[in-house]
Amino acid sequence: MKNQAHAPRVATVRPSAPDSALRRGLRRPRTLVGLVIVAVCVVLGLLAPVLSPYSPLDQSFGALQRLSLAHPLGTDELGRDLLARVLYGIRVDVVVAVFAIPIGALLGCSLGMLSANDRWYGTLLQRTFDLMLAFTALVMGMLIAALVGSGMPAVILTVALVNVPLFGRITRSAVMGQLSRDYAVAAQVLGVSRARLMLRHILPNSVDALIVQAALSFSMAVFIEGAMSFVGIGVRPPDPSLGSTLKASINFLGQVPAYSLAPMVVVTLLVLGFNLVSDGLNQALLKR
Amino acid sequence: MLRYALRRIPSGLLILALASVAIFVLLRATGGDPAAVKAGTDANPATIAAIRVALGLDQPLPVQYVRWLTGLFTGNLGNSLVTDAPIASLIGNGLQATFLLTLAASLLAVGMGLVLGIAIAVSSGAGRSVLDGLASLMLAVPTYVSGVLLILVLSVTLNLLPVGGYRPLLQDPLIAVQYLAMPALCLALPAAGVLARFLATAMRQVMDEDFVRTGMAKGLSPGRLLLRHILPNALPPVFTVLGIQVGQMLGGAIVVEAIFAWPGIGGVLANATLARDYYLIQDLLLIAVAVFIVLQVVTDLAHAALDSRVRLEQPPA
Repeated sequence: MKNQAHAPRVATVRPSAPDSALRRGLRRPRTLVGLVIVAVCVVLGLLAPVLSPYSPLDQSFGALQRLSLAHPLGTDELGRDLLARVLYGIRVDVVVAVFAIPIGALLGCSLGMLSANDRWYGTLLQRTFDLMLAFTALVMGMLIAALVGSGMPAVILTVALVNVPLFGRITRSAVMGQLSRDYAVAAQVLGVSRARLMLRHILPNSVDALIVQAALSFSMAVFIEGAMSFVGIGVRPPDPSLGSTLKASINFLGQVPAYSLAPMVVVTLLVLGFNLVSDGLNQALLKR
Repeated sequence: MLRYALRRIPSGLLILALASVAIFVLLRATGGDPAAVKAGTDANPATIAAIRVALGLDQPLPVQYVRWLTGLFTGNLGNSLVTDAPIASLIGNGLQATFLLTLAASLLAVGMGLVLGIAIAVSSGAGRSVLDGLASLMLAVPTYVSGVLLILVLSVTLNLLPVGGYRPLLQDPLIAVQYLAMPALCLALPAAGVLARFLATAMRQVMDEDFVRTGMAKGLSPGRLLLRHILPNALPPVFTVLGIQVGQMLGGAIVVEAIFAWPGIGGVLANATLARDYYLIQDLLLIAVAVFIVLQVVTDLAHAALDSRVRLEQPPA
């Protein structure tokens, strides 16, 4: 105990912490604006039962009403409250993102690490990633919907699968980059086990690119859910979705232009917000 | 160059072959029964069994796979399970409209991307921020939002263009272009935004190089310097991005066609998926993947032809 008191001050200074760049990235104005936009939208979605007195499925109001105090965004062609449908539509995106992105990221990172460590698996997995990337997001969505039927599971599965090769490739190149660094060579010479080297040393140092991709993946999740629901292979009809609300609004734009406004604004804010976060983090973390 | 092509083309073909196997196996092994789809909802098991034999579904999967591929190469695609219409004509009609839409959108994207990209690269201060923001907005806003907005402004409010629909280009080009304008613009916007940003970044990098300073020092006019020296050196990497963007457009077209009631393969694919019209789905998915892969290979080859350094690298796939 006594000895510790005499320990030189210098020793208490932490070496440049790996998360300081992340903190810098989070403080960038672009990131902050994006985070605020996303947070406001998500909180509105989560508070949907509090903010809207109506159920998104209740058809008991007059069809295609204009904006009023009782229905701040009006009603749709089936007499459902549009505010409720938009707010609950945000929840759909939250659910998709929360389930799909961790699955896709975890699978992609694991496969990416595997492919960086073994030549045979490396070739096999890279071909697999190429194969998956040849299915663009909506084409993948069509394949999945044909397999499991349209609905939320199809959307979640599609978003997860689209993310696997993205995270896989990024992890692979980041890990290969780190493996050639002196510290990794030194650790191997010292006899650190491959698994420990990967999980304790290489992965924490490769995490920057993954964080930037994750922010982008959230934006993609919102985009894909909307697009799948828009073309009719996403969320099933009575349930609310921003994409299917927009699709329905097209037929009534002449009568009630305001029908489409709220879903347009919310989708744009969500996608743009996550893009801003990703952009800001990218500038701080990767362009050093 | 030949050596690069000899490595790049087979790897593209390999992915395409893998994709065909993946589509076939997934749809056949985990999807439903095509015979049940053809028989309808309340068919008895005997009818379904008879249809299975008639469609050749009782044969081993490898035999069915080979038969599918030979059918594709000989143009013998069979009939839709749901409507019984010949698949070849369903796809042919749809591809025509989709090709027209994608071509128009690609040209628009290149034009807008070039103008906006050069404008971002040469501007400074607040002007650059505004233009940069515009490009970011274009690439971020989903087509199903920008499309509805375009209808709201150009059709509903200003009454300039039809809300949706399609007219053949050859019958009455002036009318057809009015129907084509909005969907093409809508599909082009994200690609144009991406192109503009990549071009601006590439041009700014080239501007820092010594030969640009030499050009300025010897008194080249800024316009000539920009268009004859900076732009050509910035284009090769942008070309690759263009290939990827055009490849993505086919997926994007599915949404854009749904917005503007454009009778392309997007609608055919969406309907086939909802009705579980398996034969039609597998053909369309393979076409979509094939177009994407061919575009990728072609852009890589073009990139290699334009930039000799690429030829020495290992091809990406």
